[in-house]
Amino acid sequence: MTHEAAAASQPFVMNTAFWTATTIFLLAYAVIVSEKIHKTIIAVFGAGLMLVLKILEQHEAFHVEEFGVDWNVIFLLISMMVIINLMRPTGVFEYIAIKSAKWGKGEPFRILAIFATVTAVLSALLDNVTTVLLIVPVTILIADALEVDPLPYLISCALASNIGGTATLIGDPPNIMIASKAQLDFMDFIYHLAPVVVITMVFYILAIKLIWGKKLKTREELKKRIMAMNENEAIKDPVMLKKSLAVLAMVLTGFVFHGVLHFQPATVALFGAGLLLLLSKTHEPHHILAEVEWPTIFFFIGLFIIVGGVVKVGLIKWMSLQILELTQGNMFATSMVVMWFSAFASAFIDNIPYVATMNPLIVDMAKQLWPDLSGVDLLHHVDLMPLWWSLALGACLGGNGTAIGASANVIVVGMSEKMGKRISFGKFMLYGMPLMIMTVIVATIYVWARYYVLKI
Amino acid sequence: MKAKDLMIPLQEYLKPETTLKEAANILRTAKRDEEKTGVKGLPVLDMNGKMVGFLSIGDILKAVFPSYMSLMNLGDFTWDGMVEDMARKAGSKKVSEMMTTHVVTVPEDAPLMECVDHMVKNNVKRLPVIGKGGKVVGILYERDVFFAITKAMLNENNPPIPPLEKGGKGGFENAGGAK
Repeated sequence: MTHEAAAASQPFVMNTAFWTATTIFLLAYAVIVSEKIHKTIIAVFGAGLMLVLKILEQHEAFHVEEFGVDWNVIFLLISMMVIINLMRPTGVFEYIAIKSAKWGKGEPFRILAIFATVTAVLSALLDNVTTVLLIVPVTILIADALEVDPLPYLISCALASNIGGTATLIGDPPNIMIASKAQLDFMDFIYHLAPVVVITMVFYILAIKLIWGKKLKTREELKKRIMAMNENEAIKDPVMLKKSLAVLAMVLTGFVFHGVLHFQPATVALFGAGLLLLLSKTHEPHHILAEVEWPTIFFFIGLFIIVGGVVKVGLIKWMSLQILELTQGNMFATSMVVMWFSAFASAFIDNIPYVATMNPLIVDMAKQLWPDLSGVDLLHHVDLMPLWWSLALGACLGGNGTAIGASANVIVVGMSEKMGKRISFGKFMLYGMPLMIMTVIVATIYVWARYYVLKI
Repeated sequence: MKAKDLMIPLQEYLKPETTLKEAANILRTAKRDEEKTGVKGLPVLDMNGKMVGFLSIGDILKAVFPSYMSLMNLGDFTWDGMVEDMARKAGSKKVSEMMTTHVVTVPEDAPLMECVDHMVKNNVKRLPVIGKGGKVVGILYERDVFFAITKAMLNENNPPIPPLEKGGKGGFENAGGAK
């Protein structure tokens, strides 16, 4: 039997294991979308089922990269969270936000545009949820000071964080997952995604100028409230601030060179987290570690195992064959299908489980197309690369479509509701969906021009 | 000494649908005792007289405190007049939105130590006292417990004659202002 025949025959063994795994997978996704039970509980329970029913062996779930937990993703997330938790009390984020508002000279739209840019840059360097948690409280304070509607600031904060997060490996969870699966390094993301994100941000600022520019007005005496704020008062712990900025700079430098130095990003981040914990001289690491978003971490762990189960039984391979049939092996068409399908899928379902599913699907697709290649030769095939970027762009930018499309949106909507400024699903979509479509059009033109016309 | 011996009998209360503006005024003008007015909190009773919550002046402070300020250190970046602005907006909120719904209560027959136990562990300064019918019959205030304790301390060097009958009261039965 040829290699190809073996590969083709394998996925269609639709035995009990196949249907059991597929049922667990579909039910888990259905419950996650319905939000009837917390997504982390479903992910962990589904993973437990995959193991108990022997779809996956425990060894495969914990130690086999193809089927199990991607520890690179887990430790990168945990380490970055620890670094941020240690940085927060220094007041650096309050400082940045107040400084930005003063740059805006109290002009409501100028402040909106500056906040969008600052949020995008911070999201590229930190995760989006952390960024919006740090920016939203200050933006509402500023809106209250200027006596303007906080809604544009809130929605823009979520949207800008999703756009900015697209630019780097560490900016958004889909990118962290894609980088690990496709063995792409930090500079690959900067080289391929940062340019399109910069272009997208320019279009985004122009678009919000059109939408909100005229509506945001304030009085001269209220601007003085902003100008009277002294950002230096925000810094609560200058010594720790210096230490954490030094460690953050070291970690970011480490990311830039991790490919050259043959370190995984998680190695760099874990070292940074350990070093900053040591430098903080804390005797009680308990609360720093407790503030790690464990529900998110366990959501990842559960999902990796659930997806590993359906990869093992061949469901993912079957799905990849369907897509190849649809696009007849035309790689540009495949890229476009991946980008646009990802955008709309991510707008309605969490992009983390979506990318967790798409990653092995793309690897399987590559195996069908180039059965003789393996490892990096396969993952970095010149025709496959645009697919990874299309997946990243679609999944990250697509999150802007609805209030539930990305974790940052959920956080912003949740915080707004708590503050008595409810943003309905429809209201968010009214702004999010058109802006999302605009950014994906920009990304489409970019992918087409760069990888299929200019081929650079 | 039991809760009912030290409590101040219930005179005024709030309704869940009352606005904060009215509630604040009731708290300000409610009679504390014969001569003083102004109380730091009142129980919230529904139509059937059942307690559904408790509104204290701390809850009024929370009503003007924007929740975004609790998420970050933003106290340095506030402005003159901010509390007044927030207060005007908060005035129309309902008592039910701001009241504490998990209220620590004591039955009227609770021994004083049970009351102290609740006050220390839950860090509360007022305990609604629940009567036999399940309704609030009074409020036990921290200061009245304090007076009872003070009386016991001051009597230490001059102990009262132990009562003869079993379960009888000690020498400080007249502590507190409930009588």
